[in-house]
Amino acid sequence: MRLTAMLSKIAKYSTDYSNLPESYIKRAMRQVYWEAPKDLPQYLPVTLEKKKFRYTMNRPWTEEFRRQNLSRRKKVFVEPLKEWTFFRGDRVEVLVGKDKGKIGLVSQIIEERNWVVVEGLNVHYRWIGKTDDYPGTVIQSEAPLLVTNEVALVDPTDEKGTKVEWRYTEQGEKVRVSKRTGHIIPVPISASETIDFKTKAGYPEQEKDTRAADISEHTYIPQSKTFEMDLMEHYRLE
Amino acid sequence: MGIFHLETNCKCGFVFQIKLSYKQNYENLEDKKSVKMEPSVLSLFGKQFVRGISTTACACGKRNFKKFPIYNKRGTRDFKARQAKNPHPDVPIHTYGVRPIGYKAGTSFMKINELVPEIIVPDLTGFKLKPYVSYRVNDIVQPPMTPEELFGAVYVKKITEDFKLGKLGPDNQPLHPSPEESLSPEEAKEKVLAIRSDIV
Repeated sequence: MRLTAMLSKIAKYSTDYSNLPESYIKRAMRQVYWEAPKDLPQYLPVTLEKKKFRYTMNRPWTEEFRRQNLSRRKKVFVEPLKEWTFFRGDRVEVLVGKDKGKIGLVSQIIEERNWVVVEGLNVHYRWIGKTDDYPGTVIQSEAPLLVTNEVALVDPTDEKGTKVEWRYTEQGEKVRVSKRTGHIIPVPISASETIDFKTKAGYPEQEKDTRAADISEHTYIPQSKTFEMDLMEHYRLE
Repeated sequence: MGIFHLETNCKCGFVFQIKLSYKQNYENLEDKKSVKMEPSVLSLFGKQFVRGISTTACACGKRNFKKFPIYNKRGTRDFKARQAKNPHPDVPIHTYGVRPIGYKAGTSFMKINELVPEIIVPDLTGFKLKPYVSYRVNDIVQPPMTPEELFGAVYVKKITEDFKLGKLGPDNQPLHPSPEESLSPEEAKEKVLAIRSDIV
């Protein structure tokens, strides 16, 4: 697959965090200019649709993303990374801007743009809800930081930012190792968090959720009957 | 390189493109796809004007047929009015995939009950499965059932029991066959076909 095709695809973490099926995301992102009618044989099955998207702070299946991608904008160059090193809940040091040197937690990841949003750092203020008489409320919004050069993982031993490498332990486990000190930086638990749960074991089961016991029950007994024969006997149609 | 296109219509119906191009230090004329005539050289500002003919058609066969099918809301006001009264045979009324449940006889519609789809919903009282699955459940992977599995479920138990108790006769055929074991291939096929299945 071409590098451009790979870069314009939605990253794995985004689909994992959202818990949405891939088919839904594809369908929600689709911007079709023209599609050949399927019932007419003289048309080849051709679809003219938007292939390259500009990933933003809004998630790709949202209406805001669609509005931001309606018009063609200047191309954005994203450095292709071999491995992704940052996770939700990681402690990072900001290296640029007015919050340079400060340590914060990663709250959001946008892998498609190599972005990481650190909680409470690199903020700017904006007014929302402004009407004619009401001046509106000020809210704080964090700007994303580039993973390549604007942010560094914090080494827990000396509380400073370091360059990190993925290495294997004696047991064969893949871990992040700080290049400066050689200590392992563990992956936080909130990395496997999703919008629906913090941990799978801690998920509160809802009314419409099938329980584990019901699912793993073996109710099918194989018999030497066809489907039609089985139905006949079940409904007593003979 | 500048190219000027002039279109002329020939008697035979082809549209030729006559290119007036000026070139600078053009070494290989064979590189160009169009068939070149004897270049009549005119020098203008140090550049050479060369005449040529391209035998490819103007639009290279490309046509825009996207708006060609004139469906229900397409077309002029007059056309739509005429379609409403008496639809043209070449432009049938598009149903967008909806299957008909009858036919139109003059002005009235004749409904055919057999065409009306009958949705059979099984009785779901005491049904434990729900629309969603809880996240606590581990991923269950169950591959599709193989013929070996089916054989195992239907015949294996009886055969092993017979073998242990010595109820297998000569040629290892069962002495007291079960209903499934006594079924011959012809009988089995007859049973299946009797219920109007699509197995051939």
